[in-house]
Amino acid sequence: MNLFFWRDSALPTFSRGGIHPDEHKELTENLPIEDFIPASVSLPVSQSLGPSAEPVVANAAKVKRGDVIATVPGGVSLHAPVSGIVKSVQSGPHASLVYDTVITIQAKPEEDEPQFPEQPGWQALPVAQMLERIRDAGVVGLGGAAFPTYRKLTLPKDAKVDTLVINGSECEPYLTCDYRLMLEESEKVVLGSWLIARIIGVRSCVIGVEDNKLPAAEKMRETINRLGLETMDPPVKMVVAVTQTRYPQGSEKQLVQSLTGRLVPKGGLPIAVGVVVQNVATAIACLDAIRNNKPVMDRVLTVSGHGVKTPKNLRVPIGTSAKDILEHCGGYEGEVVKILLGGPMMGRTIADLAVAVTKGASGLLFLTAAETSITHYQACISCGECIDACPMGLEPNRVSQYVEVGRPLETEQFGIKECFECGCCSYSCPSHRPLVQFMQVAKAAYRRHERKAK
Amino acid sequence: MSEATPTLHLSSGPHIASGRTTAQIMWMVNLSLLPALLWAWAVFGWAVLAVTASSILGCIAAEYVVCRIAKTASTVSDGSAFCSGLLLAYTLPPAIPLWMPFIGGALAMVFAKGLFGGLGYNIFNVALVGRAIMMATFPVEMTTRWLAPALGKADAVSAATALAQLKLGGQAALAKMLAAVPDGAQIWFDFFLGMRAGSIGEVSVLMILLGAAFLLRKGIIKLYIPLSILVGVALMAPFSPAPVLYMLSGGLWLGAFFMATDYVTSPVTPKGQIVFGIGIGLLTGIIRNWGGYPEGICYAIMLMNILTPALNDWFRPKRLTADGVPS
Repeated sequence: MNLFFWRDSALPTFSRGGIHPDEHKELTENLPIEDFIPASVSLPVSQSLGPSAEPVVANAAKVKRGDVIATVPGGVSLHAPVSGIVKSVQSGPHASLVYDTVITIQAKPEEDEPQFPEQPGWQALPVAQMLERIRDAGVVGLGGAAFPTYRKLTLPKDAKVDTLVINGSECEPYLTCDYRLMLEESEKVVLGSWLIARIIGVRSCVIGVEDNKLPAAEKMRETINRLGLETMDPPVKMVVAVTQTRYPQGSEKQLVQSLTGRLVPKGGLPIAVGVVVQNVATAIACLDAIRNNKPVMDRVLTVSGHGVKTPKNLRVPIGTSAKDILEHCGGYEGEVVKILLGGPMMGRTIADLAVAVTKGASGLLFLTAAETSITHYQACISCGECIDACPMGLEPNRVSQYVEVGRPLETEQFGIKECFECGCCSYSCPSHRPLVQFMQVAKAAYRRHERKAK
Repeated sequence: MSEATPTLHLSSGPHIASGRTTAQIMWMVNLSLLPALLWAWAVFGWAVLAVTASSILGCIAAEYVVCRIAKTASTVSDGSAFCSGLLLAYTLPPAIPLWMPFIGGALAMVFAKGLFGGLGYNIFNVALVGRAIMMATFPVEMTTRWLAPALGKADAVSAATALAQLKLGGQAALAKMLAAVPDGAQIWFDFFLGMRAGSIGEVSVLMILLGAAFLLRKGIIKLYIPLSILVGVALMAPFSPAPVLYMLSGGLWLGAFFMATDYVTSPVTPKGQIVFGIGIGLLTGIIRNWGGYPEGICYAIMLMNILTPALNDWFRPKRLTADGVPS
């Protein structure tokens, strides 16, 4: 019983808000990562934040695994995840519910498939070249945000950064792909983290893991000791920090506070307090890019939920459709009411099984009515649960009331601009109010208003 | 794949919920009020159940009619009308004529809740509005129909409440009360247990605390409001001839744990709740000590209900980030 404030654990965590949803990780946490390559892949050209790439291949073109198929100046390129023939370049569905240009490739393995061997001297490359390789490999944040990694790692001149945080929190329920990567590819995570530390010039790296993933923390510790990072050039002091299991532990600002005690200022990024955060899968992608010149062509994602027959942790080419994955995992089980790309807190519902896995998709979830929440909402009863749950200290209740009466442009006082839509408020609301959606409506109103003002 | 594509729902996240609902909360509050009712039944007899039923029926009937007139889905089953009826009954003398609680409950539901827009939109605690209406409408019955507690005895006899006696008689009344028991400490224990004249649900501090402990355990109420009310009243207790009895009598504990903690009409942040509670405590003391009524908690809570929106504006949640430092 928590009458006042005493904490349920001595482990570090963020200072306010947060929730403890049912984890459902048992569905997939003990399943090793399997490979699955579909007969064809369909890649939407919008894979990351920032400008969309333009296709550079046409119909019937022959592509090899790793070839650039779409690119954009100042943005991130997209590569063919399989060798084969371009079947079409046309409009198709995208995970964000809008249509996008989609490049479809019929897979046709070649005899001399590119192998991406280790490049000699990769550890000693100049930083600028490392960043180029990361950019050319199309690396984006694989934890879900899909922000171009080379841009995040290209520090402003005046930035004083002293700590690299590697995010192994995976706080979304159901998802276990980062957990499996830490268990199965711990060496790549550690080496990738070391490379990132080298790029941003820090000597201290903390890997944050929630205490529901202790085997992963143990494995990472063991690997760090075995590889002897402090004897490498440059030496990096790498530690694994176990945090409380509490959503949204994996959110950048929350994780930085949990691990370093530093508070990211309003409207700022972790870099403002000397920290860069990267996800474990992104660390692996950086290693692949620098050590092997291997672009991001596939990703590991968790296929789960009680609505799919055999949940799995799968490594699939980018562009694999939800339909192919569903078939590979034995089809539906029970009555599915929602299909999500991502986790159940921040993931997006998809309307069409043709939607393909993008670089930022960490999960494909098939949820039944029993495990999801579809209901009508009622009036706010001012219970304050959303305020208690909000990790940023905002007032979702009041935003929702203002939006309801058509006054979205008066909600800045309640902090909507600091809302990162973690969903703790809606999750906690006993009146089932879609508070995140009200926040989005208010934010959209401000965007429209600010556009008009220009 | 043989199966047809299911009907898919589209929405923004999150796609899971804690599972707690408003109706669940209201029914848990109702459940937590049960010990106090059972105690009242034991010491005052069957009349309390009839009074309680009358009040609940009044509230539910009015809620139903309001929903029909407003052409909204019936909210009778969400437990909030039941809760208002229950709480109103708890503030009434056990021997009040049975038709009065029905009228009071119905008027409260219409004027304090229905006309404001239903659950979530009311400004004042609905049960307390009911009590205030009844105090104005039936002043004699509301202040004289008390029963002396009679555990296990068949007939209850009429009595006056301790606060009323103290108000009218001061030190002399206290001396008389103490003379009636073999030992001075006994009277405190009687009051804590509920062996005293008073409103149905307020007499037993013990039973109220049992229910409150359940709500605290379930995370439905927090201690900020009740504790600050008790602190506020305690600050005013030295002005009374009998400070301990002052703390143990009247509707204080029922009001502090079950009326003032009503979500809709109380502030949402801990700081706001503490100010709200202290305000209620002080106002209760002021009304008791220098006002026209022996008990003041009802009006104290309603006065602070008025301040709730302002308290929500004045005491905001602590932002995680404000210009680089925690505020």
